[in-house]
Amino acid sequence: MVNHGMILDLVEHVGAVARHGMVSVPLGEGDPDELRAAAAAWCARTGNDLVEVQGNVATVRRGRSPNPLGELDPDLLPGTRLWMYTNFDCNLACDYCCARSSPQAARRALGLDRVRQLATEAVDAGVSELILTGGEPFLLPDIDELVAACTAVLPTTLLTNGMLFRGRRLDALRRMDRSRLALQISLDSATSQLHDEHRGRGSWARAVAGIRTAHDEGFRVRVAATLPYEQSAELAPFHAFLDSLGIAPRDQVIRALAHRGAADAGIELTVESLIPEVTITADGVYWHPVSADDDDQLVTRDIFPLQEAITEVRRRFTEVRARATAAAQWFPCA
Amino acid sequence: MSEPLMVGAVAYTPNVVTIWEGMRDYFAGTSSEMDFVLFSNYGRQVDALIDGTIDVAWNTNLAWVRTVAQTDGACRALAMRDTDTVFQTVFVARAGSNITGLDGLRDRRLALGSQDSAQAAILPVYFLDHAGPGADSVELVRLNSDVGKHGDTGRSELDALRAVLDERADAAAIGVNTWESIGREELMPGAFEAFWESPAYSHCNFTALPDVPAERTQPWLDLLFAMDWDNPEHRPILEMEGLRRWVPPQLDGYASLFEAVREQRIPARW
Repeated sequence: MVNHGMILDLVEHVGAVARHGMVSVPLGEGDPDELRAAAAAWCARTGNDLVEVQGNVATVRRGRSPNPLGELDPDLLPGTRLWMYTNFDCNLACDYCCARSSPQAARRALGLDRVRQLATEAVDAGVSELILTGGEPFLLPDIDELVAACTAVLPTTLLTNGMLFRGRRLDALRRMDRSRLALQISLDSATSQLHDEHRGRGSWARAVAGIRTAHDEGFRVRVAATLPYEQSAELAPFHAFLDSLGIAPRDQVIRALAHRGAADAGIELTVESLIPEVTITADGVYWHPVSADDDDQLVTRDIFPLQEAITEVRRRFTEVRARATAAAQWFPCA
Repeated sequence: MSEPLMVGAVAYTPNVVTIWEGMRDYFAGTSSEMDFVLFSNYGRQVDALIDGTIDVAWNTNLAWVRTVAQTDGACRALAMRDTDTVFQTVFVARAGSNITGLDGLRDRRLALGSQDSAQAAILPVYFLDHAGPGADSVELVRLNSDVGKHGDTGRSELDALRAVLDERADAAAIGVNTWESIGREELMPGAFEAFWESPAYSHCNFTALPDVPAERTQPWLDLLFAMDWDNPEHRPILEMEGLRRWVPPQLDGYASLFEAVREQRIPARW
């Protein structure tokens, strides 16, 4: 039987702190599961948050916590954009690739059937944009079909290194829906040195050629650069170069090098520090595209139903932020 | 613009600061701004109202009765919470006690809250006298925690409930807000059951004296009554203060307390 005095203790202790303040309340002797259930029921009924129960001590926050999801910019709400890793193999072996892609990497393709089902379910799940990435998606012989499955239902972005627009791959590009598809091509610098240093000799020139080809074919092109933090202040020449290529300012994306995958340096990105972007690979659902080859950010192996995967990511984000808020309140330095 | 209306309230919990800062923010930038002063007890708050330190006091029902007594009825009530119009005292006992009404308390022990709590001490005695066996035939176990705050903290009522759980009392008289806060009979099955609920009576109100004219209080009241439960900016304050909307005062609801104070010879001031 639950210790009846615990409810009285909860009322008294929680009533003595200010809104959003936290307090630890000993729940007394009893079955831990029953004590936790009783504390949870009281919190639910009285509009307070049960932060945690450890060793028969409940930590309660007075009042309802602000919903972390509600505080996000609507465009950042997890599940607004859906990332899909079409494959992991690549014609390049960039030394900082967050997905550890290379010519030696196993393909681990998501496949047309799953991409089609994801795209269909994405509409019902409230996704507003699909993003296909790899690996290098243009290595897939059916990349045009994958893209068509996506553009048929939602605006889509396809990430590529832009180096393979020849022959049948150029034909595949030409079959894609220009009105619904944007291409995001990786380019790290205004000259070849820095780009080639990380991505391989000659890759800069071919990427620039790919940008021009994509433009000539009538596609919207976004350019994404990955830069070490110390170089992120020297962007003027790079932006000037992208301007000269006809890349609109809003399509010039600069991102910091992440210490993930093959990178041996960069900013540390964890579940706690990242706002999640639901990311699907052949192996499961991941927290963010930057960590799609890292088990520490695997959310679930179950890709379907997509709605449940999105719900789980949102639930975990709420939990992580609540824990962070709690920790911040528990460790004041003065 | 006139000086902000100065409202007094008693600091019975840290949340009071949040509530009144929220109220001050709500009125900020309007033609009727307000500020607030917090007191440690209702006695000093009523003193401050009478000497003009504050323009309006957020008073308990006992503080209202005492203000009426000290001003010979010259004070006026401005507004109250919707929940203040339907306040009740609940008599509870251990589940299975077989106490079925106030008469069942004869020769038993009844735990009461703080002596200055209308809901948990003064009115329970009144109800015993007028609807039960008479207070003289019941052993009263008084738990005077937090005297001065008129039972606002709820602590004395929780102490009364603990006395029942510990078998130091057979029953307890508590406010309906405390009964709700413990989840009535639902969260602690087998612990408590209510065996008598009082008629509804009035609880807190905003009190002003005649030298604060209606020209100052009415614009403030108009804004107060405009607070909207469905407005997300207003709602947190309303939730914290325990109401859905502000309403005009219902003075009839104080009749039982006036009578109880007179019968129990509770002084007009301490």
